[in-house]
Formats: sequence, structure tokens, C-alpha cells
Amino acid sequence: MPTIPIISTLESYLRLTASREQAISANMANVDTPGYHTRDINFQGELSKAMNGVLNESADGTGAMQISPVVQEVKGLMERPDGNNVNLDREGLLMSQTQLQYQIGVQLVKHQFHQILSAINGGGQG
Amino acid sequence: MNLFDSLTISGSALAAQRQRSEIVAANMANAETTHTQAGGPYRRKEVVFQSSSASGFRLALAGTGHMNGPTAGTVQISEVVEDPTPPVMRYEPNHPDANKDGYVAYPSINPVMEMVDLMSSVRSYQLNASAVSAAKQMIQQSIDILKS
Repeated sequence: MPTIPIISTLESYLRLTASREQAISANMANVDTPGYHTRDINFQGELSKAMNGVLNESADGTGAMQISPVVQEVKGLMERPDGNNVNLDREGLLMSQTQLQYQIGVQLVKHQFHQILSAINGGGQG
Repeated sequence: MNLFDSLTISGSALAAQRQRSEIVAANMANAETTHTQAGGPYRRKEVVFQSSSASGFRLALAGTGHMNGPTAGTVQISEVVEDPTPPVMRYEPNHPDANKDGYVAYPSINPVMEMVDLMSSVRSYQLNASAVSAAKQMIQQSIDILKS
């Protein structure tokens, strides 16, 4: 059944996007916390890890997988005198990017379900 | 669920910034207060932000193994400290709080500094409010998957 891996892949994509959104929220919340360092997840690395997991699991048919992306500190940002290196421009851009990525994922999931629905309804008649 | 954690994190920042602006308002309101219950003039107060990794409830849930991990990165006000700057002495011999030389101790509060602090707090509040609406929009989109 080819549709199941696509939906699981999209699921891990959405989960990762939501985790990233959480990391960005944390950075924004701590914009005034002295000594706080910007944290983020390595999106591409985590996504390819998750997709490998999806492929392996669809082979052996086990249940839902667990994604726990590694949140790490971002290097190369300028630190303010209070030891905080949150860059609001970076966080704002990443947040809108993440939001759009999430929207894409949601649209793709919807499309998958619509395809299944149209198959159930008998193609053109549905 | 991750997106609700985003709401928790942004909400903690909203609460912290609101408390910060309350403290700033108190500082500005008491800029000329020479008499307090503790004695002496009003002392300028400052907040200390602290990033915390988890709330107690969240940690307990993580301990049961049903959660991926604690909510990282919420912010809270760990303490409210008093500014150690000495008070400003003004010569007002008729004031009831004047000392024997006729000087009155006024709190050393700079309105410009307080205004800048207030603006920074308001901006951070706006920032986190927009983060909340971003997370809300994402949750709404997930709900819309259920619609046809």
C-alpha cells in the first residue's frame, strides 16, 4: 500500500516542524534572559533520519515511531554583553518559514486523504 | 503535543514581560516616594529573568515515560532585586522626612531609563504575542485536516 509511507513521512515532517517552532518560541521567550544561547534543531539532518526510520518501519511493519530531535545551540551568532545571543531577525524569519513549511505539510496530508476519499467514492463520480 | 508546548513557552514569556512592565510602572509611580513601610525612600526594583527547562507537572509526566521530554526554554522571573544605587539627597528643610541637615532622600530613578525599559518590555510582549498567534494558526491548520 503506497499511501501509508507518504502519510507517515508527512507526519514526521509535521512533527519536526512543530519541534522547530517550539525551539523558536523558546528563543523568542528568552530574548531578555541573560546568558541564554539560541537553540535550534538541524532540520535537514533530523528529517532524513526520520525518513530512514519511516522506510525501515514500513519494511518490518512495526507501529508508530518516536521522533526526538536533538536541540543544539546555534554557533556563529553575535553575543550581547549580557551573554545572550538571540537574534530577533533570525527568529522572526525562521518562524514565518516554519509556519509556511507546516502549512505545506498540512496541505499535502489533506491531499493524500482526498486521494483516498476519491478512490473510495469511485474516482470521477465522487 | 509540541505545538501546545510552544504556547506554554510563549505564554511564560508573556507573563514574565507583563510582570516586568508592572515593576517598571511601580518604579515610575514611586519616583518621588520618600516614605516607605520599610523606612527610607523607595528603592528602584529590577527583575531577573531565568530560563527554566520544565515545570513540575511536565517533569512528572516525563518521568512516567509517556512524554518525549520536558518543555524546554520557558522563561520566568526568578527574583525581583533592589537597585543598590544610593538615594539622591535634596535640600528641603521643611519636608517631614528631612534629616537633621535638612536633606531629603529621594529614590534615584531616571524616568528615561524606565521608559526605555518599558518600551523594551512592550516590544518583547508583542513579539511573544505574535509567536502565540503563529502557533495558534498552526494548530488551527492541523484541525482543518479533519475538515473535508
